[in-house]
Amino acid sequence: MTSYLLPLAKVGEVGESFFHERTSATLPCQAQSDHLFCFGWAKENIGSFTTPTEQHLELVLISVVIGFAVAIALALLAHRRRWLQAPLLGITGVIYTVPSIAFFFLLLPVTGLGRDTVIVALSAYTLQTIYRNAITGLANVPTATKDAARGMGLTDRQILWRVELPLATPEIVAGLRIATVSTVALATLAVFVNGGGLGVKIYGSGNLTFPTSIIIAAGIAMLMAFAFHLGLVWIERLATPWRRVAAE
Amino acid sequence: MPAAVRYEKATKRYGNSNEAAVDRLSLEVPAGEVCVLVGPSGCGKTTAMRLVNRTVELSEGDVTIDGESVRERDPAKLRREIGYVIQEVGLFPHRTIAQNIGTVPQMLGWKKDRIEARTAELIELIGLDPELGERYPAQLSGGQQQRVGVARALAADPPVMLMDEPFGAIDPIARERLQNEFLRLQAEIRKTVLFVTHDIDEAIKMGDRIAIMRKGGHLAQFATPAELLMAPADEFVEDFVGADRALKRLALMRVSDIDLWEAPLAYVGQPTGEVRAKLQGAEVPYPLLVDSERRPLGWLSERDLAAETVPAQPDSPLGPLLDRDDVMRDALADLLQGEAQYAAVADHQGRIDGVLSVEIISEFLASPKAKVDENSAVERPRD
Repeated sequence: MTSYLLPLAKVGEVGESFFHERTSATLPCQAQSDHLFCFGWAKENIGSFTTPTEQHLELVLISVVIGFAVAIALALLAHRRRWLQAPLLGITGVIYTVPSIAFFFLLLPVTGLGRDTVIVALSAYTLQTIYRNAITGLANVPTATKDAARGMGLTDRQILWRVELPLATPEIVAGLRIATVSTVALATLAVFVNGGGLGVKIYGSGNLTFPTSIIIAAGIAMLMAFAFHLGLVWIERLATPWRRVAAE
Repeated sequence: MPAAVRYEKATKRYGNSNEAAVDRLSLEVPAGEVCVLVGPSGCGKTTAMRLVNRTVELSEGDVTIDGESVRERDPAKLRREIGYVIQEVGLFPHRTIAQNIGTVPQMLGWKKDRIEARTAELIELIGLDPELGERYPAQLSGGQQQRVGVARALAADPPVMLMDEPFGAIDPIARERLQNEFLRLQAEIRKTVLFVTHDIDEAIKMGDRIAIMRKGGHLAQFATPAELLMAPADEFVEDFVGADRALKRLALMRVSDIDLWEAPLAYVGQPTGEVRAKLQGAEVPYPLLVDSERRPLGWLSERDLAAETVPAQPDSPLGPLLDRDDVMRDALADLLQGEAQYAAVADHQGRIDGVLSVEIISEFLASPKAKVDENSAVERPRD
C-alpha cells in the first residue's frame, strides 16, 4: 500500500509522514497509539475543520448541480431520440466504472491540479445514476396518461413539462439523492489533486496511528451525506403531494 | 353546436404495409348522434376513430367535421375542440380532479373563475360530490374516475366526442349505470359521438347508428340498431350480431310499441252474466277484475264466474303487472318468470291499458310490421 500511494504524496497534499509511524507526542493522549479518539485534541483543533468542510460542501454542490444539469439534458435528448438511450447508458456507465483516483490523474493534463479536476470527475460520476433514474422515471409514465394528454391537444412540449417530468419526479429526485450521497464520500479524495475538502483532514500527517482527525472528518462527511439525504427526501415529498394522499 | 363528422374514403396504412388498417371508409355521422364503431379486435375501429382527432394520420381520403377537413387543421388545436375519452381513463395522477377537468379550458386560456365555475358545473353534472374536486385521481373508484374522464372531455363543450371503449374496464353493474348516465347526459348535451366498442350489446344500447367493421378495416354495415338486427347485410354481420338477435331487438322496444290485447274487464259486484257475455270472441279468454278506477286486481276463474256476482277476491292473483314504458325484453322476462300466460299492462296512473302475452311478442317479431314499428327503448335525442 505504501509503495502504491507514495508517488501520490508528491503531487497531492498527503503528507509524507502520513505513511510513517508517529514518533513524538505533543499531547498526552496523542502519545498513545492505541488511543482511538482524543477529546483533548478534538476540542483544541475543531476550528481547523471549518474550511475543509466548506470546501467539501462547495465541491459536492457544484459537482452535483453540473452533473444533474448534464444528466437531465442527456435524458431529455434520449427521451426524444430513443436510439440514443442505450449508447448514453453505456457511456455514462463506463465513466462510472473508472477508478476515482485514476480518473483524477487522467484529468491532470487537461484541468491541472486543484478543484476543477475534482469537479469534472465528480460531475461525471453522477451522470450514470441521475441519467438512468430520469430515463426510468420518464418511461414509467403510463401510456394512457400520455395518450389522453395528446388527445386533449397538449403539444409534445406541454406533455413533457406538464405530465412526464412531474410524474418522473420521484425517480429523478431519488437518482439525485443517491448521486449526492456518493459524491459526498467521493469528494474526500479531492485532496490527492489539491482539491481541498474533508480529505485534507483524513489523509493528513500521522493519521494512520492517530485516527481522531479521521473520525471527525468522516463524521462530518457522514452528517453532510445524511443531511442531503433528508433534504432531498423532504423536497421529493413536497414536490409530489399526490403520492402522499394516494398512500393514505 | 354539434357538428356532422364525415369519412370520405378514409384510408390508413401503417408504414410500408400494403394491407390497410382502415380501408376506404365512407360514412356520415349526423350532428348530435351517437355512432358506434364495433367489430372484432383488429378490425380498425379504434384507428378509424383516431383519424378524427389526428392521433392517427390519414394515408388517403379525408375526414371532415362540419365540412372542414381535419387535414387543414393544426392537430393540437383540433384536438382541443374534440372530447377524448379512453378505456384507461388516463387522468393526470399528479393533478386534482378539478385541475384534470380544467385541462382543456386552461390551454384555451379561459379566465380562472370561468374555469372554476365550469369545473364545478361538470362535477355536479356527473353526480360527483363537490368535495372530490380537491382530491387526486388515485383517491377515486374506477367508476368515479371514468365519470371524471367524461367530464374532462366535456370541459370546453366540444361539438364532437371520441370515446374508445370508455366503459370497458368497469365492472358490469357500474358499467350499466355509467351507460345509462351517459345516455341521459347525451339527451341533454347532444354531442356528435364516435363510440368504439367490441361489445355488440353495448353498441345496440348506445348507438343511434352502428358501423360494424371487419378485419382489414372494411365497413360491413352501417345502420340503425333496429335495421342491423332485422336485416344483417351478410353472414359476418349476422354472426357478429349473434344468434339471439331476436331477443336483442326486444331490448330496443317498449311495451307501448306493440299492439296489446284487450281483456274483458269485470268490476266487483257486477253480475257474472254480463262478464260471460264479454268473453264471447274476446282476445283473452279470462276476465280481468279491475277496481272502479280500472286498476287491475286479479284474474277471474271459472269458479268465480259460477257465482251470481263478481267477488271482491278473485281466484287467481294478478301475476306480473307491467308498465307501458317497460322495455320489452324485461316484460318478457317478467312473463316467463311469473309463469304467467298473460300479463296486465298499466298506464302511468296504474289503469289497465291492455294485456301482453308471449304469443303477441312472437307474432310481432315474425310480422313485417315489426320493421317499421320498432323504436329505440332508450331515450336519446331525436329530431
